[in-house]
Amino acid sequence: MENFVKDDTTQENRKYKWCKWLLVLTIIILIIRLWDIQIMKGSDMRKLSEQNRIRIKKVVAPRGMIYDKAGRVMADTRPSFNMYIIPEDIKDFNQTVDGLAKLINIDREDIIDKMKVASGFPPSFPVKIKSDISMDEVAKIEANRIYLPGVTIQIEPKRNYPYGMMMAHMLGYVSEISDDELKNKSLKGYSLGDNIGRYGLERAYEPYLRGKDGEKRVEVNAMGREVRTLETIEPIAGNNLYLNINLDVQLAVEKAFENKKGGCIALETKTGAVIALISRPSFDPNKFASGITKEDWKAITTDKMHPLQNRAIQGRYPPGSTFKILTAMKVLGDGLINEKTGFTCRGGFPFGNRVFKCWKKGGHGTVSIHRGIMESCDVFFYNVGLKLGINRIHDMSEAVGLTKITGIDLPGEKNGLVPSTEWKQKTYGQPWYEGETVSVSIGQGAVWLTPIQLAQLSAFVANEGVTFKPQIVNRIVSLEGKTIKTFEPVMNTNVKLKKEVFRIVKEGMQGVVNEPSGTAYGSRLPNISICGKTGTAQSVGEKGKNLGDHAWFIAFAPAAEPSISMSILIEYGGHGSSAAAPVAKLITETFFKERVEIKEARIHENR
Amino acid sequence: MKIDKRRVSHLDWYLIINGLILFAIGIFNLLSATSSFYSGSYSFIMKQLISFSIGLILIFIIIQYDYRIIANHSKLFYALAIAFILLVLIIGMMAGGAKRWINVFGISIQPSEFMKPILVIFLANMLYEKKRAGQALSLRDISTPMLATLIPFILIVKQPDLGTGIIIVLTSLSILWFVGLKKSTYALLLGVGAIIPFIAWQYLMKPYQKMRVLSFINIDADPSGFGYHAKQAIIGVGSGKFFGKGYMAGTQHKLQFIPEHHTDFIFTVFGEEWGFLGSIVLFLLFMSFILRCLKIAQNAHDELGSIIAFGVATMIYLQFAINVMMAIHLAPVVGIPLPFISYGGSSMLTVMISTGLVLNVSMRRYMF
Repeated sequence: MENFVKDDTTQENRKYKWCKWLLVLTIIILIIRLWDIQIMKGSDMRKLSEQNRIRIKKVVAPRGMIYDKAGRVMADTRPSFNMYIIPEDIKDFNQTVDGLAKLINIDREDIIDKMKVASGFPPSFPVKIKSDISMDEVAKIEANRIYLPGVTIQIEPKRNYPYGMMMAHMLGYVSEISDDELKNKSLKGYSLGDNIGRYGLERAYEPYLRGKDGEKRVEVNAMGREVRTLETIEPIAGNNLYLNINLDVQLAVEKAFENKKGGCIALETKTGAVIALISRPSFDPNKFASGITKEDWKAITTDKMHPLQNRAIQGRYPPGSTFKILTAMKVLGDGLINEKTGFTCRGGFPFGNRVFKCWKKGGHGTVSIHRGIMESCDVFFYNVGLKLGINRIHDMSEAVGLTKITGIDLPGEKNGLVPSTEWKQKTYGQPWYEGETVSVSIGQGAVWLTPIQLAQLSAFVANEGVTFKPQIVNRIVSLEGKTIKTFEPVMNTNVKLKKEVFRIVKEGMQGVVNEPSGTAYGSRLPNISICGKTGTAQSVGEKGKNLGDHAWFIAFAPAAEPSISMSILIEYGGHGSSAAAPVAKLITETFFKERVEIKEARIHENR
Repeated sequence: MKIDKRRVSHLDWYLIINGLILFAIGIFNLLSATSSFYSGSYSFIMKQLISFSIGLILIFIIIQYDYRIIANHSKLFYALAIAFILLVLIIGMMAGGAKRWINVFGISIQPSEFMKPILVIFLANMLYEKKRAGQALSLRDISTPMLATLIPFILIVKQPDLGTGIIIVLTSLSILWFVGLKKSTYALLLGVGAIIPFIAWQYLMKPYQKMRVLSFINIDADPSGFGYHAKQAIIGVGSGKFFGKGYMAGTQHKLQFIPEHHTDFIFTVFGEEWGFLGSIVLFLLFMSFILRCLKIAQNAHDELGSIIAFGVATMIYLQFAINVMMAIHLAPVVGIPLPFISYGGSSMLTVMISTGLVLNVSMRRYMF
C-alpha cells in the first residue's frame, strides 16, 4: 500500500508518454514487417502473385452418340476449335477486339455482344466468342497471339451430324444455352457456353445424351496463360442412343423426298418401333451447333416453307380418302352394311341443294365395299357416312386413337381433329349439318390429321385393333457398353372388332395395290403383297391460292403377316396414287430386302 | 438547437478532417476490393455511404448533449446493448458459422460492435471519481468493472466472435490501467493473464480457432486452409512492393485468393495496390488520429472526459494494430475490422459514435 500521493499530473503525463511510445513502437514494427515483405521480398512476392494464380477450367464432355438400329452412326462429336476471350487478360480492349475482327470473319459488335452477356461473371471467366473456327483462322490467331492478349483457343468436342439436312427433324439439334435459360432454376448444372438439346431427340433425351463436364485446375500467369495443370477431373461422356431407325430405309425415303415437301413415317407394326421418319423441307442442324449466325437464324425462322416444322408429327392435313378406311371399319363393325351391300355411283351424289361429286366422272356403277375401298369410290362412302352419322365416325376415331397424340418420343407432337356434333356446338355454337358428314366420310371438311396419326390408322388395321406408342429410341447404352434403359412396347389401343371387319378392309386395301383396278396398282411389288389406301386431299391453299392437292398414301405389308405400317404425305403433291404410293413401294422394298439378307445370313450361320 | 455556438467553434476540426480522410481512403479502397464481385461494387459502396450518413447524424445528436449527461445514462445503454446481444444469441442470423447479426427492418445489425463504445462510457462513468481522487484501484474496486466487461465478453465469444471479445477486454483493461491500479491488482491481473491462454487453449477454444493459432505459429501447418490464405495475404501485400500495383490493379484479391478481402482482410487490398509508401501514409493517418484522441483525453475538462477519450483511442488503436498485424501475419486470424476502412455498417457506426464521443469531450474542454 502506498501511503503517499504522487504528483498526479506527472503520473498522468507518464502514462500518456507510454501510450505514445507504444503507438510509435507498433507503427515501427508494422513498417519493419512491410519493409521485409514489400521491399526485401517484394520481387519474389510479385512473382508469386503473377505466377501462382490458379484457375479452374471446364473440360467439355462429349455428347452421347446416336446410332441406328444396326449401329450405324447418325450423330457424333468431333473436335473443334473454339475461340474464347478472357476479359481480364485484355490489355487494350480496342486492340484485341478490332484486331480479331480484322483477322477473322466476325463483327466487332458480335464480339461485344457476347462479352456483354457474360458481364455478370468474373473477368477471369472465358467468354466463347466463336465456335468451330477453321484451321486457317486458328493459324491466323496463333500467329498474331502477342497482339491479341486475352484471346485463347480451346479444342472442344462439337456435335456433328454427318447426314446434314437428312433426319434433322428426328435428331434435332443442340445450341448454346441462352442467358434466360441460365437464370431458369429448373435447368440445373448448366453454365455459360454449354450446349443444350433444343429439338428432336437431342431435346427429348437431353439428360441422357449430355455428359458430365470435367474440370482442370490450372496455374496461370499474369497474362492468363496456363503454366501447369494441377489437377484434372476427367469429363464423362454422355450415353449413346441406339434408335429403332433402319438407316437404309430412312436414306431411301430421304432421297425419294428430295425437292418435295411433306412427311413420312414407317412403324414396326408389332412394337411401334419407328423405322423411318422424314419431314421436308429441312434444315442443317450442324449450323446450330457451331453457333448459328443471325442471318441464318432469320432465314430459317422466316422461311415461308417452315423448315423447322416436323411435318410427320406436327403437320395437320385433311386425310382425304385414306380416312375411308376408318369409315369402312365403323360401318362394317356396327353391322350397318355387309360385304355385299351395294350402292350405285353415277359420278355424283345429290344431297340437299348441292351435288357431291365422285372423283370418277362417269361413276363406278354399283359398288360394294371391296371395290369402294379399292377404287376409292366417293359416292359409296357418302352413302355409308350418312348411315353412320358424324358422332359414330368420331367415336371410331377416338377408338383408333386419332383424337389424341400418339405419344412418340419427340417433343412438340400436335393433335389432330375429328369433328362431332358436340365439338361443333362447343367451337362454333352451331348445330352439325348432315352435309358436313358427307364430306367427313371421305376425309374432307373439318378433319385434320398428322402423318403419324394416319400411320397409326394403318397399323390399327394391320394389327387388327392393336396399336403401340411410336418409339424412336430402342435403348440407351453407357460409354462402357452397359444398357441403361430399354423401352418396352406400350400399347396405345386394343380394340376388339369382328374378324370379318378386318378381313374385308384388308382385302380392300390389298386390292388397292394388287388388283388392276386398284388406285395404286402401279406401286405393286412382285414378291411382297402391300396393302394400302391412296388419298388425294383438297388443300385449303395459302391466301386463297389453290396450290393443288395433298397426296397421301397409307400402307402396311406384307398382307398376311404385316410387320411394317406407314403413311406418306406429299404436300401439294397431287394424286396419292402417283405421288405418294411409289414411296411406300420403295420403303417396303428396302425394308424387306434387308430382311431377306438377314434371313439368308441366319440360314448360313445355322449350317 | 440546444447546441451553444461557442461549442461549435470548439469542435476539433483536426480530428474530423483526419477521420474524413481515412473514410475517403476506405471508400475508394472498398470500390477496388468489391469490383471483382459478381454483384459489383455498387451495393457495397451504397451501404457503406448510407452507414456513414447515419453515423454523421448520430455524431450530430451525440455532440448536442454534454458527455456527462450521456454518461449518466450509460447504465441504460449498457443494459440495452446486453439485451441486444442476448437477442442475437436467441434469434440471430447465422452467417459464416457464427450468429452475430440480427435483422431489424431488413438491416443486419451486429450489436456486439456497439458494445465497444458503450462499455467505454459505462466504465468511465463508474471510475472517474476514483481517478479524480487519485485513488489507485484495489481488487475490490475492479471487481464491478471486470464483471461489467466479462458479461458481454462471454456472450460475444459465444456467438462466436472472438475478435470483438478481445477488443472489449483489452480496452477495459487499458481503462483500468489508465485510472490507476494498486500493485497487488497488477500482480493479480498479470497472474490471471498468464494462466488464461492455457485455460483457453485447453477448454475454451474451438478447433478452428486453435487451427488459426497453429497456422500462425507455423504457416505450413494447414497449407490448404488458414495457412494458405495467410500466405496469399502476404503475397498480396508483398507483391505491392514500394509503390504498389496501382489503384484497382491488385490481382491477388480480384482473383479471390484472399477471403474476406473487403472486411477483415481489407488491408491486403490497400497494401497490394498502394505498396509500402501508401501503407506508411495510412499508418501515419491512423497514428495521427489516435494521438489526437489522446491529446483530447489529456486536455479534457474532467476525468470522465479523459477516460472516455482515452478508451476510444485505445479501442481504435487495438483494432488498427491487430487488424493490420493479422493481414501481414504478425497476429493470428481474428475477425476484427479496420476502423473507417473495412466494409460493414455496424463497424462504421461504432467508429463514428466513438468519434462523436471524443468530439463531445473535446468541445466541452472549457467550462462556461
